[in-house]
Amino acid sequence: MLEIKTVSKNFGGLAAVSDVSFSVKEGEVVGLIGPNGAGKTTMLNLICGIYKADSGSISFDGTDITKMDSAKICKLGISRTYQIPQPFESMTALAGVLVGVLNGKNRPNMSLPDAALEASYYLEFVGLFAKRDTLARDLNLYELRMLELARALATTPKLLLLDEVMAGLNPTESSWALDMIWSAQEQFAISILWIEHVMKIIMNATQRVVVLQYGKKIAEGPPKEVTSDPKIIEAYLGARYAQH
Amino acid sequence: MVNFELRRDRIVARFRDKKSEWVIEPRYWRNPIIGISVLLILPLFVSSYPHILAMFTTANLYAAIAIPLSLQMLGTGRVNFGPQLYLGIGGYTAALLNLHFGWSPALTLAATITVCAVISLLLSPTTLIAKGLYFSLITLILPLTFMDVTFIWGDIFRGEVGLVGMSALLTFEKATWNYIAYYYLSLFLMLAYLLFSDRIVRSRFGINLAAINENENVARMMGVNVDHYKVFYYVLPSILTGIVGWFIVHTFRTFAGVTYLPLEFMTKILIIVIVGGRAFLYGAIPGAYLISIVEDSLRGLGPVNYFLFPLVLIALIVFLPRGEGLWGLYHKKRPRDYFPKLHVRRE
Repeated sequence: MLEIKTVSKNFGGLAAVSDVSFSVKEGEVVGLIGPNGAGKTTMLNLICGIYKADSGSISFDGTDITKMDSAKICKLGISRTYQIPQPFESMTALAGVLVGVLNGKNRPNMSLPDAALEASYYLEFVGLFAKRDTLARDLNLYELRMLELARALATTPKLLLLDEVMAGLNPTESSWALDMIWSAQEQFAISILWIEHVMKIIMNATQRVVVLQYGKKIAEGPPKEVTSDPKIIEAYLGARYAQH
Repeated sequence: MVNFELRRDRIVARFRDKKSEWVIEPRYWRNPIIGISVLLILPLFVSSYPHILAMFTTANLYAAIAIPLSLQMLGTGRVNFGPQLYLGIGGYTAALLNLHFGWSPALTLAATITVCAVISLLLSPTTLIAKGLYFSLITLILPLTFMDVTFIWGDIFRGEVGLVGMSALLTFEKATWNYIAYYYLSLFLMLAYLLFSDRIVRSRFGINLAAINENENVARMMGVNVDHYKVFYYVLPSILTGIVGWFIVHTFRTFAGVTYLPLEFMTKILIIVIVGGRAFLYGAIPGAYLISIVEDSLRGLGPVNYFLFPLVLIALIVFLPRGEGLWGLYHKKRPRDYFPKLHVRRE
């Protein structure tokens, strides 16, 4: 579904991502992990067209999206959430999701009330329907993350890119969020590329993990195998722990 | 028969099985129909004071410039500091074609629209390229450049004295009738702009405009074709502003770059937008009326008004709630509605 081939991106002299290739198959949940500054978010930005790759190619469903505009990429079926929630602050929760409903696909004949009905379905799905008339700036972090999820789902994606959904949530909230993402995956039949620091969740939720360090891919495989790899332990904890 | 029933907050009219409700609760008094009918019967009270009618005509034209500007702020997510550029372009196009080639107002209207559309299309890439403050700076400098042009080619544009003697849209024998007619014409122009813009803002496109105004990059990620929107909402308001220039030419029958192009005029328009309510369309009308009434009443004081007028405006912004002028008064009552912010973007 998503094919990334030897993609590189430099910021001045800094190689944020170099020669990374991996793929995401249909219906799969892939984790993208790595220490801070490893280039995970840059990778996500490359996929959804915020940055353009210096070399290499990214294709989605057979279409080359390396140099494509983000709006077109979104219409093809890739949608994302942000590490730091970026809601439309002065808009109500419902209006924020409406934007996704109206623009995620070409829907020239959809009226505003129809779109609002569909948007409220997505809000209901993430459990924010009661907050539909609340301005996004008045929501708390959990609600903001759920709003972002609803917004992303409203564009009817085939591939959902999640950027640290669990960051800053307490254990209860993150278990709710995890349930939500699982049921979203079942109900909307989406594949997920998931950046996460919380290893417990990555271990449980993903079928495959890609590990980045200093912009390079150092390992790929099922989470159980990857976490026992001494190279990964070294990347995360330093060489001293890798020996044991 | 029609039955009227008075409820606590509304009047309900019933005719057979049809029911229509009229909300009279004070917080819904922004109801546009009330405002429009006040504006419609206004000249009946002041018909014997032509200068007041002229003042109201000016207020309508100010509002007719501020409303498209608000729309543009929404659609491009940027603050245009030079809306009067297209006023000048439209006005000069109409005036020169009418004077030198004898084109009728209908023909000059078409020419104005074409010229404004072409020039704004040529300039529209600035909305895509110029980030943040640079867009404001570029738009600030363009009208001033155009004013210099009117001075340099003074034999064509007559920059300092202005062009005179263009043909009028309507002429009546009594001067009072002229004033009233022009008041109504300007009112209809302004209302047409208001209803047109309001229709856009309340439609599905309005939601996208709000999203662009809030956060361009996120809007783009959610599939909004931001570039198309920006170009369109730069060109359309420019044309609308150009039409106001055409209107000025054919009603006041004089047009001078010195009056409409300098910073003073721009400040007035921006103050109307700020006092009346940022990108809130209805606010432009009370804002425009307030500004022209303040301007007119201070003019009698002599040269002091150049100093007093800005002071009054600053006081309006400081002392009305939330630093947002009349809009703040309204917003205090209805904090839940969507109202866009004025952005000077950093990215």
